[in-house]
Amino acid sequence: MGKSGVSNNIRKLRFFEDEMTQEELAKKVGVTRQTIIAIEKGKYSPSLELAFRIAYVFDSPLEEVFFYNPKNDPV
Amino acid sequence: MTFKEKNIAVSLVSFSLIMGILLVAVFSMVLSDNFTSTNVFRLWGITIVLAIVFTITATILTHIITAIIEAIRTGNEDPEIEDLEDERDKLIDLKGTRVTYVVSSIGVFLAMLTYVFGQPALVMFTLLIFVGVLAQIIGDITRLILYRRGF
Repeated sequence: MGKSGVSNNIRKLRFFEDEMTQEELAKKVGVTRQTIIAIEKGKYSPSLELAFRIAYVFDSPLEEVFFYNPKNDPV
Repeated sequence: MTFKEKNIAVSLVSFSLIMGILLVAVFSMVLSDNFTSTNVFRLWGITIVLAIVFTITATILTHIITAIIEAIRTGNEDPEIEDLEDERDKLIDLKGTRVTYVVSSIGVFLAMLTYVFGQPALVMFTLLIFVGVLAQIIGDITRLILYRRGF
């Protein structure tokens, strides 16, 4: 996520989950498809709770789904 | 376009319409020398009633029209409308509200300044209602931009 320095592997993880659709992921974590699109594109940083829910769906630890890249962090 | 975005777009159109009505009413009052307290306060009442009626009607109409379009598109008689509000929607709404408050605060200050600098109180009251509607329009535009950009 260019703005905050946090990036994610959601697209890759969806691919490995039988090409799970954004709609399916959105329903599983209780948000709209537009929110999943915004997270994937790095335009929106999810709350910690939503980040954990997404990681839970992929049965992966949080740091495998989201990771911090200090080079992209403007702060 | 999501249901929330449609709702905001309809609200934007409604408030732009109210703004148009407000401007026409004020200008016709000024031109015909009817800029009196009775007329200005009646205009306040009309604007507030219109805002409430338009907002309620717009929300109901958006729901009905979205349901009809979805039913035609999917062939399902009882279509599912995604009117779920998640954390991103709430944050966008908060940002829009913040912009609305900032614009209305500046507007109220400027309206009061006109009174301080010797304009009649009616000018201040007219500006207050004008600024209220303008702030709502700018808040809705902010929300739409945030939805279009992603956040």
